[in-house]
Amino acid sequence: MIGAGDPAGELIGPRLMVALPAAFLLLFFVIPNAFLLTTSFLKSEDQVLTNQVTLQNFTYLLTKPIYLTSILRSFWISALTGMLVVLLAYPLAYYLARTANRWRGLLIGIALAPLLASVVVRTYGWWVILNRDGPISDLARAFALSRGPLVLLPSSLAIVVGLTHALLPYGVLTILSAINGINPSLERAAMSLGANRCRTFLTVTLPLSIHGIAGAFLLAFSLSVSAYATPAILGGPATATMATRIYDFLTSLDDWSLGAAMAAILIVTTMLILFVGSAVGARRASL
Amino acid sequence: MKPWHALCAVAAAVYLFIFAPIVVTASVSFNAGNLSRFPPVGFSLRWWREALDPRWLQPLTFSLELAAISAIIATLLGLLLAFGLVRHRFPGRDLVATLSLGPLALPALVTGIALLQILNMAGIDALYGFPALVIGHVVICLPFTVRTAAISLQAMPARVEQAAYSLGATPIEVLLRVTLPLIKSGVFAGTVFAFIQSFTDYSVSLFLTKPGASTISVTILGFLDYGFTPTLASVAVITLIVPLALIAIVQHYFRVGDFIYGSGRHG
Repeated sequence: MIGAGDPAGELIGPRLMVALPAAFLLLFFVIPNAFLLTTSFLKSEDQVLTNQVTLQNFTYLLTKPIYLTSILRSFWISALTGMLVVLLAYPLAYYLARTANRWRGLLIGIALAPLLASVVVRTYGWWVILNRDGPISDLARAFALSRGPLVLLPSSLAIVVGLTHALLPYGVLTILSAINGINPSLERAAMSLGANRCRTFLTVTLPLSIHGIAGAFLLAFSLSVSAYATPAILGGPATATMATRIYDFLTSLDDWSLGAAMAAILIVTTMLILFVGSAVGARRASL
Repeated sequence: MKPWHALCAVAAAVYLFIFAPIVVTASVSFNAGNLSRFPPVGFSLRWWREALDPRWLQPLTFSLELAAISAIIATLLGLLLAFGLVRHRFPGRDLVATLSLGPLALPALVTGIALLQILNMAGIDALYGFPALVIGHVVICLPFTVRTAAISLQAMPARVEQAAYSLGATPIEVLLRVTLPLIKSGVFAGTVFAFIQSFTDYSVSLFLTKPGASTISVTILGFLDYGFTPTLASVAVITLIVPLALIAIVQHYFRVGDFIYGSGRHG
């Protein structure tokens, strides 16, 4: 056995080594999701699943205005969140990549630090800021911009703000690693040929980091579309999204076929985004 | 250098946006009034006293135990899979590699629902609560532990192991004294990611908790339906301190940060 290589393989056996975790994922990830997808094609009568195969669940969700509105709301909220994440993350990532500040490591750390807090906790902070007795409402009143308390909650835009905040660290991470991957001598070459800093940025850095931008947008989009806590806290019945609808289907309405169908739409959306991502060569976040 | 100053100003504004809700939450927790107000009215520790009530400490310790156990299991399974994927060629290898990242691609919310359904169908209600949560959390943590372990294994020169073998070391000696020490920081980074992923999760947990066996995030989420008392702010700050302290300790001993930021930088 001397020189045979992998010591872990020698001890446990290469087959078992792969089979054990693979079986775990098969049993607790692949099979459950496959069953859930199957359920989305099953008819349910009086909240009991039958064995009848049907497309009814999907046609129902996609034609009934209240559900279609929720699906479309999830899409535009996610698209807007993705754009805002890129708009805010890019300047911060570019600054972090190019600064000569000796606290650079610490600055990167604190930009990513919000990931340490649960989205539930961070969204609570936004509720305090945005609610009708909150500081923004107070400010608006103080400057006589609004007569009564300013009502910002519940609203779709509040959900966008909360999601943008929740997903910003992922955006910074993705774009930072894209900018770090650019060879700095390209920028130096542009500058030495007479381009100023702005022009160098627009013609060299920005085009070369486009995969990072696409990656950050798609990651924020796919995480927003399935987010539950933020729409549950900052939204209300009038701003229901796909995730909150699924929650209602499975809890108060106890309708597994519609819940599964909505979950299936969510899965297809996320897979589609993944596909688009790999087609345009988007960078994946390293976390 | 005018554009650069403008950029600095924008970066500062983004930092303000990042910290606004966290600062607000922290200040609300010291508020004296009955409402979650900002700026806070007066100063009081009453919400902190309430946050240290068993009603909140119980889900907090529950989440810590859950995160620790899930992170350890995910690390062990992730190590096995990483060794298998990096060191061996076998049919279906690409499929297994894709599968190992699957839980990152599909929404965790859906994974939680799917697990709930399969447990329902199998009729094993006994698994609800802690066991079901461990399973769900290991599933969503596995991509992190597999990836960090695989990256460290790839970065490690196989020659060192060969050298140890040729000097007469047994596989267990090579594993414990050569391989594992060399991939330690990557593996540990994976464990820390997994712990934090588990501790801050609500998506996969949402449908798998039961009364008396609920994570801190799901407990807070459930409580928000009844109102936004400042107690939640204190609880929120506590949940923030735990992972921060953990990162500080781990960073001190293992320099995990190098693993995260160190790679991918030119020059």
